[in-house]
Amino acid sequence: MPVAASAIYFLNLRGDVLINRLYRDDVGGNMVDAFRMHIMQTKELGTCPVRQIGGCSFLYMRISNVYIVIVVSSNANVACAFKFVVEAVALFKSYFGGAFDEDAIRNNFVLIYELLDEIMDFGYPQNLSPEILKLYITQEGVRSPFSSKASDKPVPNATLQVTGAVGWRREGLMYKKNEVFLDIVESVNLLMSSKGSVLRCDVTGKILMKCFLSGMPDLKLGLNDKIGLEKEAQLKSRPTKSGKTIELDDVTFHQCVNLTRFNSEKTVSFVPPDGEFELMKYRITEGVNLPFRVLPTIKELGRTRMEINVKVKSVFGAKMFALGVVVKVPVPKQTAKTSFQTTSGKAKYNASIDSLVWKIRKFPGQTEATMSAEVELISTMGEKKSWNRPPIQMEFQVPMFTASGLRVRFLKVWEKSGYNTVEWVRYITRAGSYEIRC
Amino acid sequence: MRGLSVFISDIRNCHNKEQERLRVDKELGNIRTRFKNEKGLSPYEKKKYVWKMLYIYMLGYDVDFGHMETVSLISAPKYPEKQVGYIVTSCLLNENNDFLRMVGNIGGKEFSESLAPDVQKLLISSSCRPVVRKKAALCLLRLYRKNPDVVNIDGWADRMAQLLDERDLGVLTSVMSLFVSLVSNNAEAYWNCLPKCVRILERLARNQDIPQEYTYYGIPSPWLQVKTMRALQYFPTIEDPNARRALFEVLQRILMGTDVVKNVNKNNASHAVLFEALALVMHLDAEKEMMSQCVALLGKFIAVREPNIRYLGLENMTRMLLVTDVQDIIKRHQAQIITSLKDPDISIRRRALDLLYGMCDITNAKEIVEELLQYLNTAEFAMREELSLKAAILAEKFAPDLSWYVDVILQLIDKAGDFVSDDIWYRVVQFVTNNEDLQSYAAAKAREYLDKPALHETMVKVSAYLLGEYGHLLARRPGCSPKELFAIINDKLPTVSTSTVAILLSTYAKILMHTQPPDVGLQQQILTIFKKYESYIDVEIQQRAVEYFELSRKGSALADVLAEMPKFPEREAEDAEVDTAEQSAIKLRSQQQTSSALVVADHPSANGSAPAANHLTLVKMPSQTVSDAQEISATYEEAPKPSVEAPNGNGPIEVESKATNITEINNEIKVEPPTSRSTSPADLLADLLGPLAIEGPPAAELHPAQGLDANQSPVGDLALATLEDQSNSVQPTVNVEEKFHILCTKDSGVLYEDPHIQIGLKAEWRAHHGRLVLFLGNKNTSPLMSVRALILPPSHLKMELSSVPDTIPPRAQVQVPLEVANLRASRDVAVLDFSYTFGTALVDAKLRLPVVLNKFLQPITLTPEEFFPQWKALTVHSLKVQEVVKGVKPMPLPEMANLFMSLHLAVAPGLDNNPNNLVACTTFFSEATRAMLCLVEGIHQGTFGRHPKDSGSPSSCPSTATIAFCSTCHIQ
Repeated sequence: MPVAASAIYFLNLRGDVLINRLYRDDVGGNMVDAFRMHIMQTKELGTCPVRQIGGCSFLYMRISNVYIVIVVSSNANVACAFKFVVEAVALFKSYFGGAFDEDAIRNNFVLIYELLDEIMDFGYPQNLSPEILKLYITQEGVRSPFSSKASDKPVPNATLQVTGAVGWRREGLMYKKNEVFLDIVESVNLLMSSKGSVLRCDVTGKILMKCFLSGMPDLKLGLNDKIGLEKEAQLKSRPTKSGKTIELDDVTFHQCVNLTRFNSEKTVSFVPPDGEFELMKYRITEGVNLPFRVLPTIKELGRTRMEINVKVKSVFGAKMFALGVVVKVPVPKQTAKTSFQTTSGKAKYNASIDSLVWKIRKFPGQTEATMSAEVELISTMGEKKSWNRPPIQMEFQVPMFTASGLRVRFLKVWEKSGYNTVEWVRYITRAGSYEIRC
Repeated sequence: MRGLSVFISDIRNCHNKEQERLRVDKELGNIRTRFKNEKGLSPYEKKKYVWKMLYIYMLGYDVDFGHMETVSLISAPKYPEKQVGYIVTSCLLNENNDFLRMVGNIGGKEFSESLAPDVQKLLISSSCRPVVRKKAALCLLRLYRKNPDVVNIDGWADRMAQLLDERDLGVLTSVMSLFVSLVSNNAEAYWNCLPKCVRILERLARNQDIPQEYTYYGIPSPWLQVKTMRALQYFPTIEDPNARRALFEVLQRILMGTDVVKNVNKNNASHAVLFEALALVMHLDAEKEMMSQCVALLGKFIAVREPNIRYLGLENMTRMLLVTDVQDIIKRHQAQIITSLKDPDISIRRRALDLLYGMCDITNAKEIVEELLQYLNTAEFAMREELSLKAAILAEKFAPDLSWYVDVILQLIDKAGDFVSDDIWYRVVQFVTNNEDLQSYAAAKAREYLDKPALHETMVKVSAYLLGEYGHLLARRPGCSPKELFAIINDKLPTVSTSTVAILLSTYAKILMHTQPPDVGLQQQILTIFKKYESYIDVEIQQRAVEYFELSRKGSALADVLAEMPKFPEREAEDAEVDTAEQSAIKLRSQQQTSSALVVADHPSANGSAPAANHLTLVKMPSQTVSDAQEISATYEEAPKPSVEAPNGNGPIEVESKATNITEINNEIKVEPPTSRSTSPADLLADLLGPLAIEGPPAAELHPAQGLDANQSPVGDLALATLEDQSNSVQPTVNVEEKFHILCTKDSGVLYEDPHIQIGLKAEWRAHHGRLVLFLGNKNTSPLMSVRALILPPSHLKMELSSVPDTIPPRAQVQVPLEVANLRASRDVAVLDFSYTFGTALVDAKLRLPVVLNKFLQPITLTPEEFFPQWKALTVHSLKVQEVVKGVKPMPLPEMANLFMSLHLAVAPGLDNNPNNLVACTTFFSEATRAMLCLVEGIHQGTFGRHPKDSGSPSSCPSTATIAFCSTCHIQ
């Protein structure tokens, strides 16, 4: 396995080192100065996540207000390094209880050092699973073996955990009520031209799972994806069901999924870890159902007046509804006065993002809403800069709707004891970057 | 105004730029809405929003609306509103804006002309209140900047002097601003104000009659002090002894009285005054004592913890370096400066590096360069390239001995290979090639480096080259047999780039040639590699492989073809080179990007096809004489008997004598020895494979005097005889002959060096006067006794040597100035008879001083229209000399031109209609003749001699076969 990091630095936005850890001595201690000089203080910041300066590679990413910089001097596996950073951040978040930012780091120096020691060794990533690390890196006090009261919980065996066949799940879990929650979360990215033709459209989705199951259950998930259905039909030698099938691209699974079985039978079967995890990720580029259509008309009347008319149509099922719909219509910087008329929701002008913001709390399916606005501009000294009309942006959430059309056909749970389980399935579609040119 | 203060406190509470921007955009939106409101704004609101606009504008955001509102405030009835209107208008609108026309008839030349007399009247009138006169002075300054004609110089010099007598410090400060501006344009006219300025400074420095409100932290009006000293710097010198004495007293007081204190504001003010005073001291070229006081003060500054003060200290020390004579004092702070190199602040490190670079000289070069090398390990990337370049320049400039230089550069390549440009290793190769005693040492070093596991590619290049050339010198050492050398170099072959592969192939060929008796196994291995590269995709490598493969079958002929590389032509003017390097370093810093083409302008192997500028620094090796040229070109044709010619005819020393033989026609003027000695690099290249070039010079150079025969002129005898009897036990470690020739075209360098002493030389020339400084450096740990130096001047030179100390202390350097005046033209050369005793041995060296004719030349550029009238107007025939030199080696035109330039001859295009001829003119200075016009012509003579090898390239001339010198001199 190639090296992922020679050193890791956590910097704040000013470039001060919050915390750092050197894993190998092939990079100097002042490397971070080079990063500050060549990346942070130039315009290059954020243009390319990998930079080479003087024989060292700098891999960096920004998470909230912290830069995480990995320095390597050898030929490293960059993807591995970035995955390591992402996983480490997830780990820290689970330890800090949600937030990962400068303050969180400042408040948890000792813990972070402890974790950094554990999750990487001589530049090679080690176990980053929060469940297992929490067994032996604890935030509570440790009970002295000489204390009179015996601990009620058995001391968990971390070694067995890490080296066992199912490293991600502990033995001997017990729940009164066996429940599985399945969330399919999709985000739609769209770029539409002013004439209404789709220029770019795709859906990225993930299946999140939360398990409260006893023992060592074996789960099997069936989706209405094309390959799975075809394989099933072939195995059971019956014709493929008519109805919609989905073609999934770029599927990635959690490590618990049995890949050999997926390759042979095209079914997703797995022993789930306890608690919450991301089962799979996928992408879909064809056959996307767009939840909203937007029809803007913008007229410039002379130098100081504009008329804006936006019509939004919901094209999902009439029984469903969208929540938190926000339409942002950009206006020129010299906007001075605005007046609105809307059929539903409220609109106002937000000067700090130079847009008209129209909010509709609840938007039922198969309906339409319009907003018409009059904008007055202030006259300026400089010659009028032509306004380049940035695209209209939209935000929304549609529960129980998938833009891809993906459905869960079944979720089966087998366990030796044969208990009954309750399965919950939810669908939600969100706007990714949903843009309409005007 | 609550809204405004709330807004400002909001902005100040923003944690980052992003938040600030959001808040500003929100506020701008608000202001726009308010301005657009139909109901209009109350005057109070209008004032508030305009203030906010100004605040936003000052934060650096673009505000391009609201001008109407601002301008309307100007016409408001109340004072506070009017004031806002004026302030904001003057900030937001620049003077060329059309919108200003609405405000009033502002700006313009006519306006300033019509207004100026009134303003002047106000300024001078004694009945006005001081505040009005203050404003009048500033107003006049603005008008003057707009239109300098408003101040009539004749009348104003007196008025200015009167105004400077002002007692009110406020008015005086404003007047001084005006004065600085006036003086910067025309210092001559205001001579009479100079004593007044000194008096003002005196008054301030003595703290006499200074009202309380004009003292700032106990310093009497620092602003006025700074301005006055600035004004004084515009005067070239101060001649009046009284004023000068008074001024120095004041400066002394400032220098003594300034110290670092706790209070930041006080520090800022007192340092502003101090640094201005330092600038003035430097400008006035004060006595050494004062300078040393300044340096001592700065030395205190650079030891302070506060980074700003340290920075200023270092920077001003660097500026002090420009003034002569303070180097020694600055050197005392060397340790402190070196510590500054490790400062956490990069700007301080940079200043420290600049200062170290500037203060480096022969005495401390070793220490500084070693420090820089060590620092290279920890320096950040932004500085490494500059650092390595500077280290290389210093190492070359001040190397006490050449092996040290090689050591340093090899270390440099090893430590910072990425940042070492190719030119640096080219220089090493040149040095090693030109210094025989260095060759085996360098090869051994290169061999050591090859043992390292990880090696930079540049290191591979230089090692491979050196081992190919001189590897055979190591043959007896363990691990250095040809086979082992080949093995270790061949290890690197798979990992290197194509340009290095080409060098490696040449190295293999050389190893093959040096393996005597031939080793069949090795030969087989090498031939396999050549074979393999015969079909390589890179044409250069392919060609090399094919050629070497074929050559290696030629057997014994191989040795002739692949003989050792001849010496490189020396370059002149290190200073020029350093300048370019420095410039490129500065450029590099400003661009902050990696560039490998640093010193390209000095590329040694550039030949005729390269741009002319590249050649400015090239000076040719002394390998042929004028008269020899014919013989040699003859021997070229009949190559088999080269060694006959070499020992007795080819010595560069003969230049003088032979040249005189030819040109005995008239002794008034002589053909420059360096000119006649010239050989074009193209020729050298052409001769690479010829055995003559390899076998000839060394014998002649080791004992330069031996090859002389009887046909010398008496003067030549003097110069040469002195060199003959160097039967000392101590032999010079440098080639004295070569050094002399280098110095003929350069103004500084080493004249002589042996194990005990190094004699350096630095010269300045002005018309027919010259000032030389001899640097006698004792290299030993024990003193050199009974040091004597005697000048044997020829009749045409007047020379005065200052007294030489009897002993030179250990590791010390003594400077001996030498004044020279040229009485008339002659070819003779002055000789320095130098002797010392070391232990019991008496060492006596007779050295020719490079006070040659071309030092008294000054190039002038003349167009034909200017030249011919002058030339024809001169009719005094007694001073007219013309001589023709034939049989000079052919040379491409641009090179010829560069050669002329290096001899202080300015090429004048257009004087000759034939583009193949080259004409240069110059002025010759001597006491007898004053300035004389001289002309040198290079005439193309058809198909005589060999063509330059690269005659195919368009920029080289087809053939300048013969060069004729027609030097004609007249009294002007």
